[in-house]
Amino acid sequence: MQTTPATSDADLQADNLRRAAIDKSVKGPVLFLFTNGAFWLMLSTLLGVLAAIKLVEPTFLAGCPYISYGRLQPAHINALVYGWGLQAALGVMLWIMARRSGQELRTGKSLMLVAGVFWNITITFGVLAILMGKSTSIEWLEMPKFVWPVLLGCFLCYAWPIARMFGRAFRPEGFMVSTWYILAACFWFTWIFITANVALHCLPSLGALGAGIDAWYIHGVILLFFVPVGVGAAYYFIPKITGKPIASAQLASAGFWTLAILGGWTGMQKYMGGPLPAWMSAVGACTGVLLLIPVGLVGLNHHLTTLGKHSAVATSPTLRFVFFGALFYPVSGLILALNSAFWTGAGLQFTQSWYSFQMVSVYGFFSMCVFGAIYYIVPRLSGCEWLSVRLIRNHFWFSVYGVGTIVIMSLVAGWQQGADLNNPEHWDQNFMNHVINSRPYVVSRAVAWALISFSNFMFLIHLLLMVAGLGRRSSAPTLLYSEHDDHASPAHA
Amino acid sequence: MNFRTFILGLAASFGLPWLCLIVLPAMKYQQLTPVAYDKEKDGLDGFYPPAPVNGQGQLVYIREGCNQCHTQMIRPSQLGLDGWYKGWGQDQEGRPTVAVRPNVLRDYLGEKYALLGVQRIGPDLANYGWRAPEASKLHQHLYAPRSVSDWSSMPAYTGLYKLQKIQGPASNRALNLPKKFAPPAGYEVVPTPEADRLVEYLLSLKKDHPIPGQSAVAAAPAAAKK
Repeated sequence: MQTTPATSDADLQADNLRRAAIDKSVKGPVLFLFTNGAFWLMLSTLLGVLAAIKLVEPTFLAGCPYISYGRLQPAHINALVYGWGLQAALGVMLWIMARRSGQELRTGKSLMLVAGVFWNITITFGVLAILMGKSTSIEWLEMPKFVWPVLLGCFLCYAWPIARMFGRAFRPEGFMVSTWYILAACFWFTWIFITANVALHCLPSLGALGAGIDAWYIHGVILLFFVPVGVGAAYYFIPKITGKPIASAQLASAGFWTLAILGGWTGMQKYMGGPLPAWMSAVGACTGVLLLIPVGLVGLNHHLTTLGKHSAVATSPTLRFVFFGALFYPVSGLILALNSAFWTGAGLQFTQSWYSFQMVSVYGFFSMCVFGAIYYIVPRLSGCEWLSVRLIRNHFWFSVYGVGTIVIMSLVAGWQQGADLNNPEHWDQNFMNHVINSRPYVVSRAVAWALISFSNFMFLIHLLLMVAGLGRRSSAPTLLYSEHDDHASPAHA
Repeated sequence: MNFRTFILGLAASFGLPWLCLIVLPAMKYQQLTPVAYDKEKDGLDGFYPPAPVNGQGQLVYIREGCNQCHTQMIRPSQLGLDGWYKGWGQDQEGRPTVAVRPNVLRDYLGEKYALLGVQRIGPDLANYGWRAPEASKLHQHLYAPRSVSDWSSMPAYTGLYKLQKIQGPASNRALNLPKKFAPPAGYEVVPTPEADRLVEYLLSLKKDHPIPGQSAVAAAPAAAKK
């Protein structure tokens, strides 16, 4: 997957210059997206703490009607998905695509910056509107109606140049896995986003079918946007840092196409047993389980690629984040399968396991991969190295333990809620047992989000310092568990 | 494989589910209309579903994000005990004789977006109208949920109510609150029009109308009572 190592020094020099020119051309938009994304991530995690507290103790800050759970939770999710997730994803996509296709970003840079500014202004209005009581209550599309055309336009300002770069590049025949995932993510997101918004905002009324389309949209954004970007980044960085090619091109290709074929079918099993025609949720449930195939193929491939290189996981911050992110991918597939199969899904339906799935895919898998990518990309754009090993290490451990806690606790809480709901002893009783039994899990969720907020605060400060050009002046990258050795040659440029 | 086949492959693999799951069902849904009851077979007059939802009240429900914690969807017995829960259908007995029927597509006809729910942190509200207390009690529940159940994790929607100084005789709409939740002396809490609409909506939630042609089982409790 890598470019062939240059043999002579002159070639190496030319190669480095070419990479530097590419980095310079995308510097503005990428750093803009990362910093703004990090601010939204910070906000989203704080809203997550608050929402969890309000779910246990609704009298907390009861005087303020803007922050009831019903408004906080959508604000928290929307800030995470559109504020952080999409922005960070676009930054990573743009950089990887530029590097992989060997193309400088020639035109459209100012348009990208303008689109980025508009994106952030629109999300700000959208999230404020949810808190002020203008929510649409359509899950993941709670922001008011006016938001989506702006977001779509801004997204295309990035997606189109990314696709153009791919088109202009010299393309040897064969499968170029990371760029294909990224190109497909641009393609899928546009399609899914337009479909869901037209159906839910423009068509007259879709009743229960609208709810099904919304569930399809959520699964689509996760499986056909966040997952491809995360997997694409993992396929790019793992070989890059371990110095080994991807273990199997066939596995990579099979993993991609099974995801492409299955991804669009799943989602409506969220309302299994509901008013939708039964075949819709049955198809969704079936593909939800079958998606274990692409998950397994990608997981196996990553495992084979990192085999024997685990020491690099200990030293390289990028590889460590990406490696653990890639580990969360099979976990997310497993939770999706548990939620989807009628056997287990009937118990987990309408419980916190739904939140568990969203968090393991958006935070555990996607965000961890993107953190890794950011730790790699930013030094190359800002011209300085990360300041502090301790900050990176803390960010890593708090994130891993935090998101692990949220995912496990929400899943167990979902099992508990399902068991309570279907407990015959509760038939003629009120919801007291359900509410009280699920409290401890929500408390742990609040604590975990607080830890994550703390780690994100460190990440944000660190990133801001880097973007301001106040990083370490050195030619050696910041590695964990090793003294900074300025004589060591950079392992990877 | 070149660029062209790649894009074609993507379009085909995603276009098929898009067409089958979204486009065709959405087009078919537009033809869905209320059906008339057959007086002979169903023993009922009029149409199913009988009335459109209370849109104004539903807007308040939507705005406050009630669907984050409350579902409006009864599942069939093989998936959950929803149908047997006390008061989740028309039959308010502790041990209903017949399970409440699961919801079907037509129950949500005319709603812009069915609020099936995100999680079930509180009880299901699909047929809440049957078990709801009188309007004044419901107002009390919305204003101070913990005055009804001290373990409740429901937010208090104080923003939908007005705290006003009593001038002249006390308003007959003032909430009758227990001491712990009562306003200071000389003040009273009255519902705003929005709270009234929300309560009307909640009281109207009865999504278990008998389905024409399937009345033998589903309409049994309806026919037996009242």
